Amino acid sequence: MTEWFSEFADRFYRNFIKEDRWQYITDGLLVTIQITVFAVILGVVIGFLVAIIRSTHDKTGKLKIANVICRLYLTVIRGTPVVVQLLIIYYGIFASVTIDKMIVAVIAFGINSGAYVAEIVRSGIMSIDKGQFEAGRSLGFNYAQTMIYIIIPQAFKNVLPALGNELIVLLKETSVSGYIAMEDLTKGGDIIRSRTYDAMMPLLAVAAIYLTVVIILEFLVGKLERRLRNSDH
Amino acid sequence: MTTDNVLISVKDLKKKFDGMENHALNGVSIDIHHGEVVFVVGPSGSGKSTFLRCLNLLEEPTGGTILFEGVDITDPKTDINIHRRKMGMVFQQFNLFPHMNIMKNLTIAPMKLLGKSKDEAEKTAMELLERVGLANRADAYPNQLSGGQKQRIAIVRALCMKPDVMLFDEPTSALDPEMVGEVLNVMRELAEENMTMVVVTHEMAFAKEVASRVIFMDNGSIVEENSPEEFFSNPKSERLKSFLSKVI
Ligand SMILES: Nc1ncnc2c1ncn2[C@@H]1O[C@H](COP(=O)(O)OP(=O)(O)OP(=O)(O)O)[C@@H](O)[C@H]1O
Ligand SMILES: [Mg+2]
Repeated sequence: MTEWFSEFADRFYRNFIKEDRWQYITDGLLVTIQITVFAVILGVVIGFLVAIIRSTHDKTGKLKIANVICRLYLTVIRGTPVVVQLLIIYYGIFASVTIDKMIVAVIAFGINSGAYVAEIVRSGIMSIDKGQFEAGRSLGFNYAQTMIYIIIPQAFKNVLPALGNELIVLLKETSVSGYIAMEDLTKGGDIIRSRTYDAMMPLLAVAAIYLTVVIILEFLVGKLERRLRNSDH
Repeated sequence: MTTDNVLISVKDLKKKFDGMENHALNGVSIDIHHGEVVFVVGPSGSGKSTFLRCLNLLEEPTGGTILFEGVDITDPKTDINIHRRKMGMVFQQFNLFPHMNIMKNLTIAPMKLLGKSKDEAEKTAMELLERVGLANRADAYPNQLSGGQKQRIAIVRALCMKPDVMLFDEPTSALDPEMVGEVLNVMRELAEENMTMVVVTHEMAFAKEVASRVIFMDNGSIVEENSPEEFFSNPKSERLKSFLSKVI
């Protein structure tokens, strides 16, 4: 027992304490969180735009061309792996310009997430009773005003939990950022492995940190869900 | 009544829904005058709601014209949003905005569309709320109200726009029987104040009492119209006779 423990302590020391290697983990976590937060913001913006275009088309038959573009975007993004999209954007689109890799990652994951957010929000918009729309129009609100004041606020509230889940999915998906040499949480664990030739301990630590963050987020989403369900409005 | 007293003039109004074989409206013509209270009755599926919803273009007619205050609102060049402000509508399902409290439900349209200040809009709303006996619920949310209260609020919401006509589509059909009276009372008061009203309803006794004219629709057409006394005591067409024998 003591032998096992002293070996464990030794491995722990080599992987995390020596040469301040724990900083690969903490710095990586910060990078992961940064990518996730900015990408989710971009994704929500794109997602709402696409959802509004798509549901406007469904409701009114207008915006035909924009709708086709949106559908193409949804098909391509949801039909290809995110890591391929990331590589295409990094090595393909931004190949000839010097640009902060963080920006590339945020754009790639934002565009990716936007496709999923769009379908979440669209289902939220379509789930609002059409009487709400008619009540708005009958007062004299035009289409856009009815969307902004009446439909979107209700749809947003309905889809908040689903958006929270999308945030969790996105957090885990950013773990492929290492493909463009970003030093995110996963890459941090990998760097330690390459120094210490110990795969298990750093990767388990990385997994434990993802899990902890996800559990915290799930707890918050669950709390939000309960609050929305119980609230009168 | 003289023609210059006409508020809404409907000519040969037609509506055919996509995929439906028959017209929901088969050439309906009617003049609605200022201060008139027109009740529309008829069997289910006869086109009453379609007719009413065409009046403010919630349903787009496929033929005919509607002049509202002299303007052809079926003309695609007409900005219908401007004219809808003058046409209040009350729905069977209330359709209050659930994410806003009552005061916000009542003031959002006057503030955003008529440029009223918050104070102005709230003052108007409060006066109307007092009249329908719901001033104490201004801070409540719609789902904290009973059906009858919701419908009274829905009427007030339309009135806050100071409309020239009020359109009602079966305003009491979704209510528990004990709540019908409170809504009808509000409508009766409106009628007494000479509000122009078009009311689709199954409440025959109420129609008899309040209407200035009753219209009977069947199969997308107006089959008969008359003063309420004549309409109910002396129906002319066989279809109206058989309809009345079933509902009264
Ligand atoms: N959105 C729609 N799409 C297709 N058909 C419709 C639509 N709305 C109404 N109809 C059809 O048009 C006809 C007239 O319907 P409408 O709702 O105007 O009748 P109504 O007199 O109001 O009946 P009720 O008393 O049941 O409310 C019916 O045959 C109905 O099925
Ligand atoms: Mg109807």
